[in-house]
Amino acid sequence: MKLDRRNLLAGGAALATVPHLGREAFAQTRAETLRQVTGNAVNTLDPTMPGSTREAFGISVNIYDRLVSFGKKQTPAGWVFDPDNIRGELAEKVVTSADGMTFTFHLRRDAKFHDGTPVTAEDVKWSLDRAVSARSLAAAQIQTGSWTKPEQFKIIDQYTVEAKVDKPDRLALPNLCTLYCIIFNSKVVKSHATAADPWGQEWTKTNTAGSGAYILESFRPGEQVILRRNDAWNRSIDGKPAGFRRVICQTIPEAATRASLIEKGDADLSIDLAASDVATLASRGTVKVISTPQFNAFSMIAFNTQAAPFNNKKLRQAVAAALPYGNIFKAALFERGAPLFGANWTDTPPSGIFPQPMPLKQDVALARKLLAEAGFPNGLDTPFAFNVGAAAIAEPMAALIKESLAAINIRVDIQKLPDAQISTMVTEKKLPFFTETSIAWLPSTDYFFRNFFTGNQRWNYSSWDNAEIVALAEKARFEINAAEYEKLCKKMISILAEEVPVLLLWQPNQDAVMPKNVEGYVYGYHRQVDYRDMKRA
Amino acid sequence: MGLAVSIARRAGKRVVSSLPALFGVVIFTFLLMRVLPGDPAIFFASGPNAGQAEIEQIRQQMGLDKPVPQQLLLYLRDIGTGNLGRSMTTGQPVVTDLVSRLPASLELTFVALMLALILALPLGILAALRPNSLIDNIVRMICTLGVCVPTFVSGLLFIFAFYYILGIAPDPTGRIDIFAGQPPTITGFLLIDAAVAGDWDAWRSAARQLILPACTMALFVLAPLARMTRASMLAVLTSDFVRTGEALGLSRRRVVLVYALRNALLPVLTIMGIVFSTMLGANVLVEKVFSWPGVASYALDALLSSDYAPVQGFVLLMATIFVMVNLTVDVLYGLADPRISIE
Amino acid sequence: MIAVLRHTGWVLRGNPVTMVASFGALVLITLAIVGPWIVPYDPTASNVPNALMPPSAAHWFGTDQLGRDVFSRVIAATRLDLAIAASAVSLSFALGAMIGAFCGYTGGRLDRWVGRFVDVLMAFPLFVLAMAMVAALGNRVENIIYATAIINLPFYIRFARAEVNVRRNSGWVEAARASGNSHVRVVMLFLLPNVLPAMAVQISLNLGWAILNAAGLSFLGLGVKPPTPEWGIMVAEGARFITTGKWWLVVFPGAALMTAVLCFNLLGDGLRDILDPRMRT
Repeated sequence: MKLDRRNLLAGGAALATVPHLGREAFAQTRAETLRQVTGNAVNTLDPTMPGSTREAFGISVNIYDRLVSFGKKQTPAGWVFDPDNIRGELAEKVVTSADGMTFTFHLRRDAKFHDGTPVTAEDVKWSLDRAVSARSLAAAQIQTGSWTKPEQFKIIDQYTVEAKVDKPDRLALPNLCTLYCIIFNSKVVKSHATAADPWGQEWTKTNTAGSGAYILESFRPGEQVILRRNDAWNRSIDGKPAGFRRVICQTIPEAATRASLIEKGDADLSIDLAASDVATLASRGTVKVISTPQFNAFSMIAFNTQAAPFNNKKLRQAVAAALPYGNIFKAALFERGAPLFGANWTDTPPSGIFPQPMPLKQDVALARKLLAEAGFPNGLDTPFAFNVGAAAIAEPMAALIKESLAAINIRVDIQKLPDAQISTMVTEKKLPFFTETSIAWLPSTDYFFRNFFTGNQRWNYSSWDNAEIVALAEKARFEINAAEYEKLCKKMISILAEEVPVLLLWQPNQDAVMPKNVEGYVYGYHRQVDYRDMKRA
Repeated sequence: MGLAVSIARRAGKRVVSSLPALFGVVIFTFLLMRVLPGDPAIFFASGPNAGQAEIEQIRQQMGLDKPVPQQLLLYLRDIGTGNLGRSMTTGQPVVTDLVSRLPASLELTFVALMLALILALPLGILAALRPNSLIDNIVRMICTLGVCVPTFVSGLLFIFAFYYILGIAPDPTGRIDIFAGQPPTITGFLLIDAAVAGDWDAWRSAARQLILPACTMALFVLAPLARMTRASMLAVLTSDFVRTGEALGLSRRRVVLVYALRNALLPVLTIMGIVFSTMLGANVLVEKVFSWPGVASYALDALLSSDYAPVQGFVLLMATIFVMVNLTVDVLYGLADPRISIE
Repeated sequence: MIAVLRHTGWVLRGNPVTMVASFGALVLITLAIVGPWIVPYDPTASNVPNALMPPSAAHWFGTDQLGRDVFSRVIAATRLDLAIAASAVSLSFALGAMIGAFCGYTGGRLDRWVGRFVDVLMAFPLFVLAMAMVAALGNRVENIIYATAIINLPFYIRFARAEVNVRRNSGWVEAARASGNSHVRVVMLFLLPNVLPAMAVQISLNLGWAILNAAGLSFLGLGVKPPTPEWGIMVAEGARFITTGKWWLVVFPGAALMTAVLCFNLLGDGLRDILDPRMRT
């Protein structure tokens, strides 16, 4: 090519337009991209892997489909998941038998996996077999819905699956909505299974074989996950694919940095900002804050009821009467949540809903009296433990507890323990007095009591062993009559209020912070983001 | 030729003599991790419904069901075959994690060291030329101030000023703008990879991301480098050969920048080696603040969750790098001053 | 002795920076001693309704998340911070100098083994070692001190060993031995005091460094227990409030921490001038 003036000009013009086009394309993709920033990291693509983080749960929800899922409902605080409204996801129709023991799932005929192959009854059966048989987190969860063995799942024809429980169980269907019951592309996973690993669990940690609304684009464990929209996906309520073309879920450990990213508009969503930052961002009004009290979670102060000194009920009651609940709520959480203290009922709670506010109030004179009655006229020494990861909230709480208990002569030694250490000590029941936040995916009162107040497992934080509660909880589980169920629940709650194995504090808000033009956020049972509902206005 | 041989022999000797130290590091880390009170199996089994069965399963998976001496032997055997175990935090083999994250740490440390040197050498020389003058004292104050600010504070303040208030720095979220295309991975060093691929947008993006964390780190190591430059420059400037050079009528500038500086750099080189190793191990704070996907923050996360394998792998890696850096300094020393290799 | 004082006075006069630093260190030490008695408020007493107030006449440095007086906390923290730094450094100095001196004096197998041990320690990423130790032993003040002491240890051992090694065959040591002193006496009474001044510089620098180290641990959640006032933990907590405009939570404790480190560093420099005039001129 001869270099003359015209060529040069043309070349120059071409050069000038290229970055311009690039910029426009960039703006386009930026608007169609949802960038979520989180403090924790996604560590696996298979949510059933032991050790998977909550962020990993969130990603799997969007990559995989389940047979059924929870609907959503609007509350004053925004959209939340609705555990009482179960709708089909891969199933077009669910037929429950009259005795409540058999569920027949009719699959959507147009549902396809990401590789284009149809979702069949065979995939469903294999995936549910995997959930109950493979050594993973799934089995322990879904046995709470009476799902324990592969024989319960039967293929009727290519698009129909039947599932049976032995006894009507109110949590049977809800359990199939959870993210442990995801449907895999069984041919693909099987092709990566080995004799030592018959369920292909090694492979699914870093690969996906789903049919969900998003397709994995890249996964860097501990740093970021990038998802691409599956345009063929139609399992939403309106049958349309997801709103964002791309989703980036990025780990930013510093909470203050996450807050500034959102405020500057460089990130589109965060659900784990520090409470103080959320309060400020909300007051500045540059971003949208959707605050949902986590109605299936609760923060508490737990006592070890099996060991001295807190096996002494009077002592527990004394501590309960000594704490400045309102101040703790304000200083630690900036009142961003629903309090579970300060209720006015005495004997019977107003409803059978749990968690609900308990009759906990500060009354220092009563505390002193109870302490003397408990046999500790000179007070006592006790450690109070919390998790380093929860320090932002637990540290001010601990300081106030120490101060207020010092007033009744209980000397507190604050222990701030690394995450692994505290989970070990909780499991081994070695902590006498500590704080925790816990969550139930399937928020029914009997489920809460069975998981958190009976049995010898980690989630029974106070190691509470009360024969009456055990009997009531087991009875409530299989109780079909709603009025009777309510009665059993009220009874359990009033025993809890009397015995105070734990002090319920609050349900912290899930504060979802986003720019004003991002819409569709729904609070999920997993406390993660369902990207499928979200879009930019 | 003779020089090369003697340097190679020296290097070989250094490698062999450092093996026991590396072995000691491996054993010590292994034992230290076992002393940690957290039980990783319980930590990682903390799904909403984890019971004793899952905990046992993870314990088995991590090889923790065997007695400690046997675990140690197994671990040593694994190291021998290049297997550092699997991280529970990321679900990946530790070697994969380290290989993908090490370039991030190295790139940051190199750039920070370069920045620090670019500032420290002129400052040190200036101070040495006019000892006890106003300039000397100013240099001293600047450098000392740098060491006085904890890196996490200077990092957060930089972010606050340059990103949040002024908006001239990119968001402090890793090595490259998340919306920019990542250059194809060749070395893992983004600046090099982008340059090789000719992707200058990516290069600029990576460089912009590097500036703040590199400055934060550079600020902190300015003092030892400048101080050493000053001291060794002072020593050289008063030595005979410089005086001879000046007596022979060479220009002051030529004497200082060519003859004196070349000789004064040797002690600086030693300090550089130490500074580099320390920076690489100690930049966990900077990595945390800037969400930098490096090895140190990886090790910290693993440490807090009692995830043994990554911490052990990290310490072994750092110790190896420490040995290698010392070796390099040694070799460079030998090249710069052949008298040393004769001894 | 008088000569030393005169020399010191001369250096201080010629070097206003060192003078200011010595004065600063003196103020810090005074505050560490009397601090808890002169503060206007109880540094751990909460006052939640009055939380997160900007500086005012009543609260010069504002109040924190629990309504505690930041000024009182900054002053009260001086004692703990200096105590951590001083005990960590003196511990590693005492151990390190002793071990190093004996190794340098005797040489031989002991020397080789200790050398190996020091190599292992040196090859460790030291900050990670400190983190691991605090995580393993629990975040009590004494464990933070031990962790800081251990990671300083190799430098002192090496330094003392090298210094003693060059002196052990000098005439006056021979003389001390010949006049009937045992080896232990020779090391403790003759050699150690001789290398002490050179190490003083290092001690002063390390004091500042130990404070920074404790602050770093605090930032990672491995610092002293709440509600104990400590600069590092106050800075780390305050840093969380930077973007929300609560600058006083990070600026005041940060300034205190910086001042302390600066004083010790400049003092170290100054000590070097006093002890070894050649280093500077």
